[in-house]
Amino acid sequence: MIAPRTIRSLKRGLNRNVLAKVGIVVVVVVLLVAVFAPLVAPHKPSTQNLENARSPPLGFTKATTEEVPVQDNGSVVFEDGQIVTENRTVYENATMDHPLGTDGNGRDILSRLIYGARVSLLVGFLGTGLAMLVGVAVGLVAGFYRGKVDDVLMRSADVMLAFPSIVLAIALIGVLGDALEQSIPDPFVQSGLAEAFRSAVGLPTGMPESTVVPGTIIIVVALVNWVWFARVARGEALSLREQSYVKAARALGASDGTILLRHVLPNAITPILVLGTIQIAAIILLESALSFLGFSSANVSWGFDIALGRQYQSTAWWIAAMPGLAIVITVVGLNLVGDWLRDALDPGIEGEGGV
Amino acid sequence: MLEDGTSRRRFLKHAGAAAVAASLAGCLGGDEEPTDTDTDTGDGGGDDGDGGDGGDGGDGDGGDGDDELGEFEVTITQGNMPSGLDPHDHRETPTDVVMLHAYEGLITRDAEGSAQPALATDWSRVDGEQAADFQLREDVTFHNGDTFVAEDAAYSINRIVDENVGFASPQSDQLAGVSGASAVDETTVRVELDGLNPIVFSEFATYCDIMQQSWVEDRSKSEIGQEMNGTGPFQLDTYTQDEQVVLTRYEDYWNDPAEVSELTFRAAAESSTRVNQLLQGETDIIVNVPPQEVNRINNNDGASVSAAPSTRILYNAMRYDIEPFSSTQFRQAMNYAIDLESIVSNVLGGFGAQTGQPTLPEFVGHNPDVDPYAYDPEEAERLVEESGHAGVEIELNTPVGRYLKDLEIAQAVAGYIDELPNVTASVNQRDFGSLVDELLTGNIEDKPPWYLIGWGEATFEGALVMTALLSTNGALTSWSNEEFDSLLETAANSTDDERLSALQDANALAHEEAPWIFLNQQFSVYGVSDRVQWEPRSDERIDAYAMSPSE
Amino acid sequence: MSLARFLTKRLLQGGFVVWGVVTVVFGLRVIAPGDPANVLLPPDVGPEVRQQVIADLGLDQPLHVQYWEFVSGIPTGDLGTSLTTGTLVSHRVARSVPATLELAVAATMVAVVIAIPLGVVSATNRHEAPDYGATLFSLVGISTPNFWLGVMLIIILSVQLNLFPTSQRAIGIPAIFDLLVSAKFATAADGFTTWLWYITLPAITLGTYFTALITRLTRSGMLDELGKTYVRASRAKGLPESLVRYKHVLRNTLIPVITVVGLQLGTLIGGAVITEFVFDWPGLGQVLINSINARDWPMVQGSLIVISVGFVVVNIVVDTLYTYVNPRVGFD
Repeated sequence: MIAPRTIRSLKRGLNRNVLAKVGIVVVVVVLLVAVFAPLVAPHKPSTQNLENARSPPLGFTKATTEEVPVQDNGSVVFEDGQIVTENRTVYENATMDHPLGTDGNGRDILSRLIYGARVSLLVGFLGTGLAMLVGVAVGLVAGFYRGKVDDVLMRSADVMLAFPSIVLAIALIGVLGDALEQSIPDPFVQSGLAEAFRSAVGLPTGMPESTVVPGTIIIVVALVNWVWFARVARGEALSLREQSYVKAARALGASDGTILLRHVLPNAITPILVLGTIQIAAIILLESALSFLGFSSANVSWGFDIALGRQYQSTAWWIAAMPGLAIVITVVGLNLVGDWLRDALDPGIEGEGGV
Repeated sequence: MLEDGTSRRRFLKHAGAAAVAASLAGCLGGDEEPTDTDTDTGDGGGDDGDGGDGGDGGDGDGGDGDDELGEFEVTITQGNMPSGLDPHDHRETPTDVVMLHAYEGLITRDAEGSAQPALATDWSRVDGEQAADFQLREDVTFHNGDTFVAEDAAYSINRIVDENVGFASPQSDQLAGVSGASAVDETTVRVELDGLNPIVFSEFATYCDIMQQSWVEDRSKSEIGQEMNGTGPFQLDTYTQDEQVVLTRYEDYWNDPAEVSELTFRAAAESSTRVNQLLQGETDIIVNVPPQEVNRINNNDGASVSAAPSTRILYNAMRYDIEPFSSTQFRQAMNYAIDLESIVSNVLGGFGAQTGQPTLPEFVGHNPDVDPYAYDPEEAERLVEESGHAGVEIELNTPVGRYLKDLEIAQAVAGYIDELPNVTASVNQRDFGSLVDELLTGNIEDKPPWYLIGWGEATFEGALVMTALLSTNGALTSWSNEEFDSLLETAANSTDDERLSALQDANALAHEEAPWIFLNQQFSVYGVSDRVQWEPRSDERIDAYAMSPSE
Repeated sequence: MSLARFLTKRLLQGGFVVWGVVTVVFGLRVIAPGDPANVLLPPDVGPEVRQQVIADLGLDQPLHVQYWEFVSGIPTGDLGTSLTTGTLVSHRVARSVPATLELAVAATMVAVVIAIPLGVVSATNRHEAPDYGATLFSLVGISTPNFWLGVMLIIILSVQLNLFPTSQRAIGIPAIFDLLVSAKFATAADGFTTWLWYITLPAITLGTYFTALITRLTRSGMLDELGKTYVRASRAKGLPESLVRYKHVLRNTLIPVITVVGLQLGTLIGGAVITEFVFDWPGLGQVLINSINARDWPMVQGSLIVISVGFVVVNIVVDTLYTYVNPRVGFD
C-alpha cells in the first residue's frame, strides 16, 4: 500500500525539516496527554475551591491594594444605601499547585486543558474519520461511475459547499441540539489504575469516571466536511479508472466493488491521508468555535473555557488565554505534520477547509 | 489619536443606516414601513438620518423653549434589547425597563417599593361586590396629544387579561384574579375580580401599562411593536431594532418634566463589554456588573458601583415526584451539603444574600425566625445514607448568563454536592429558552428533575412567589404538599394578621421540607457614571425619571 | 465557449444550488424540535387560540404546501415573518447585511494588502530572516482560532492599552454615505475615522487567517514559479531581476492564489459570523446566532438563505473573473 519510495520521501522530508520533527513531537505529546489524562492531570478538572478562584499562573503574582467591600455573613454591607468598603491589600500568589492558575470557580486550569484535549482530539479524529468514510465512498463512486450518479452526488456536494462550514454547523447544531451525547467510561479510572498510580505518586484522587463525547458535534462536523474528501477521491477515481490495470480487472470480470476497494482505493490513499491530517486541524478549530458559541455538550472543552474566560478579560486574562494557546499549539503541530506529509507525498493537494 | 468615547454617542443617533437599509429592503420586497420611525409629535428630526449633526451632543428639536431644564443625555446599557415595543407583549425585565419610561400604570411604586398614585389618584374596593374602583387623574395626555380617559384604562386591562381582546398577552397572570374592567364614567374605571384577590392593588402597582384604545385599535400588532404612545415622561424618538431605543423628554407630562432630556437604551450581552463601555465613557449606566469587576469600576475616576438587594430569588428546584428527590431527607441533605456563605461571598463577591425560605426579607409573609441552612457536609452525608439513595448520580440543569453568575453558582453547587462521598453531581448547561419551554408546559413531567432558576417578584408579595413556584397547581411548580396548599388557600382568603401568619407558616414548612436547594437573593449591581445622580431600586427597574445631573 | 454561455451555465448551476440551499434550510426547520407556536404564545393560553396561531403561521398545512409557500415567496423577497418580533425577516436581514459586508471587505483588504507583499518577500528571501518570520507568522495564523484572537486583541489592545473600543459599531458605511449625500462632509469624515477606529480590531481578527493563508500560498506559488525554466531564460536574456519577478512571476503566481482565495471565501464568511459574535458587531452572523438561540426559525432560515446565496453569487463572480483573467484557461 505504501510504496518504499514514499517512505524514503517521508524520511527525507523529516531529516531536512526541523519543523516537521517539531510537529510530530507536539502531536504525539498532545495525544499522550489526552489518552493518559487521569494519570497526568494534577487535579480533577471539576474540583473547585471558591476561596482560590482566579489565581494567576506561575510567574505572575499580583498584589493590589484597593477598596474592597466589607462582608458580613457572605453579603456586602450597606450603610445609608452605600456599600461599605475598606482598603485591603490582596495578594494573589501563583503556586506550583496550580501552575497555570485557576478559573472563576477555583478549578485548576492545567487539568482542564489536559481533559479538554480529549474532547478536541476525539472530535477531531472521529469527525475526520467519519467525514473520510462518507466522503471517500461518495467520491469514489461518483468518479468511477460518472454519468448521472456523478452528477447527483456532486450537485449535492455543491449545495453543501454553498454554506460556509461554520454557518452550516451552527444551523445543524441549533436544530439537532445535544441529542447524541455519549458518555464513554474511562478505562484508567474504571480499572482502578488511575487511583493506584495517583495515590502512589501523591496526587489527589477521584478522577472523572467517564468522558462525555459530544456525538452531535461529531456528526455535524463530518456532515460539513465530507465534501473535501469526496472531491479528492473523485479526482483520483476519475484518473485511475483509465489505468490499464483497472481496465484489465474489469475485462477479467472483477466486480466493481472489488475494483474500487483493491485497485482504486490504495492508490488514492496518499492524497486522502494528507487531506485527512489537514482536516483534523480544521475540525479541531471548528469544534472549538462551536463550543465557544455554547453549542457543545462536552463538560470540559477548550472552546467553552475561552467563552467562560471572557468575563474575566480585565481581571484574570489567563482563564481565556490558556485554552487558546493549547488550541494554537495543537493545531500548529498538526499543520506541521500535514505540511511534511504533503511535501513528501504529493505536492499538488490544495483545499484547506478552515474555520 | 484616541478619540473620546463620546464620539460614539454622537453617531449613535444617526438614522441613516436604517434609511438606506430600508430602501434596500424595499428592493427585497415587502411594503411595510421602515423600522426607524419618527413619533407623531413632529419632532422635526426628518426621516433620513438628519437626526443630529453630532459634535455638540444633541439637538434642540424636541425640547424647544424650555429654558429651565437643559440638555442632559443619558445612555443605559442592559444585557438585552427589547424584542419589541408593545408593553403588553413581553415578560423580560430589560424590556420592562424601557417600557416604564413611556408607559405608566394606574399605581406605581417609589424606590422603597411603596405604592404611589400614578394614573389613578385613588383606589378602593367596592362594597359588596368583587370589584375595585380606580379614580383616574385628569388632564393627562398621551404622547400623541389625546386625553387619557377611563375607556383607555379599561381597554388596557382587558387587553392583558382577556385573550379575546387584542391578542393573548403573556402578562395575563401578572393580573391574576382580575377578570375584566369597564369604564364607569370619564374618570372612573371598575375592575372585576375573581374572588377576594387581596393583592389586587399590589398587582396594579407593579403591572399593567396603560395604552390608548383608539391608537391600539388603529394599528396592526407589528406596528404597535415598533412605536410607542404612552403617558410617561419620555416619548419615542427613534427605534433601531436590536440596537437602540432613543427616547426624548415629553414636555407635556402630567407631572414635572424629567431632568433627562434624551435617554438611549443599548445592550451588550457580555458583562465585560458593558464594563469597558462604562469606563470608556460610552455609556452612563450598566446592569449586572459581575463581582470581579466591582473594584475596577470603583477604582476608576469616572464611575462607581451601586447595588441594592433585588426582588429576585435564585434557587434549585428538585422535583418531588422523582427519585432521589422524592425523599425529604435527600433534599435536606442537598441543602446541608453546600456552603452557601462561601458561594455568596466568593462567587458573588458578597453581592447577594443567603436565603432559607421562598420569601425574601423585604416581602410580605417573610418568616424572621427561619434561618438559611448551615453548611454541614457530615450531616448531609448522613441524611443521604438515611434516605436510601446513596450512590446516586444527579445532574443540575442551568441556564448560562441569564442571571448573575448562574453557571458559576450551579458549578459551585454541583461541586459541593459532588464532594459528598455518596453522591455524584454534574452540571448540564441549557439554553434558557428551551429550559423555560420545558418549565412552562404545565406538566411536571416535562421539567428536568433538578434545575436552577430565578424568580423576580416585583410586587413584593411572598404569596405570589409561593403560589407560582411551590403550590400543586402553580405554573412553575416542582412540589406538591397538602398542608402547604391549604396554608396558601387560607392566606388567599384572609387579610392582615391571619394572612401574615399563614404565609409565615408556609415559609417555615417550605424550609423544613426543602423542595428547593435555597440559594441566594440576587443583588442588582449597577455601574453608574459620575455624571449621573441616581439610586438603584430594589425591583430591578431603572427609572431615568429619577435621574439628575451630578453637580 | 463565450463569456455569455459560461455565465449562463454558471448561473444555472448557481440557481440549482440556491434551490438546494432553500430546500435544505426548509428541511432544517422541519426536523427542528419544539413547537414554534410556543415561541409566540404564553403557556396558559387556550387551545383555540393556539390553533388559530398555528393556522396563521401556516403550520397546519401539509408539508409540500408549506414548502411551496416558502419557496415561492423567495424570488419576491418574502422570507417570512420573525416569530419574536413580528416584523419582516427581509427587513432585519437587509439592515444587517451592510455591517457584515463592511467586515468582510475590510478583512479581505487587510489580508491582501499584507499577505501578498509578505509572501513575495518571503519567497525572494528564502531561508533568511524575513522568510522565517513570515513562515512562522503564517503558520500560527492559520492555526489560531479567530474568536480567541479577537478576545486576546480586546484584552491587550482595548482593555489594557485603551487603544481601541472593545466592541459594537458606532456608525456604518451607509450612514456615512448618507452624510456625504447631504453634503455634511466634515461630519462624514469624522464618521469615517470613527468607523475605522471601531472596525480595526474586528477586521484584524477576521483577516488574520486569510492573511496567513494567502501568505503561504503566495510564498509557495512564487517559489514554484521562480524555479521554472522561463524564469531562468528571462534572466539569461538579461532582463532586470525586478521585471522578472514582478511582471511575470508575480502575475503567474497570483492566478492560482486568487482561485484558492475564491474557494476560501466561505471560510471568511464563516469567520465573520464568529467575529461578529465576539465583537457584538451587528451583522448577519449575529442575527443568525441570536435567532437560533431564540428559536426564531423564519429568521434563521432567512439569514441562512441570504448568507448562502451571497456566497454562491460571489463564487460565480470569482469564477468568471478568474477564467476571464487567466489567459491559459478558456471559458469551457
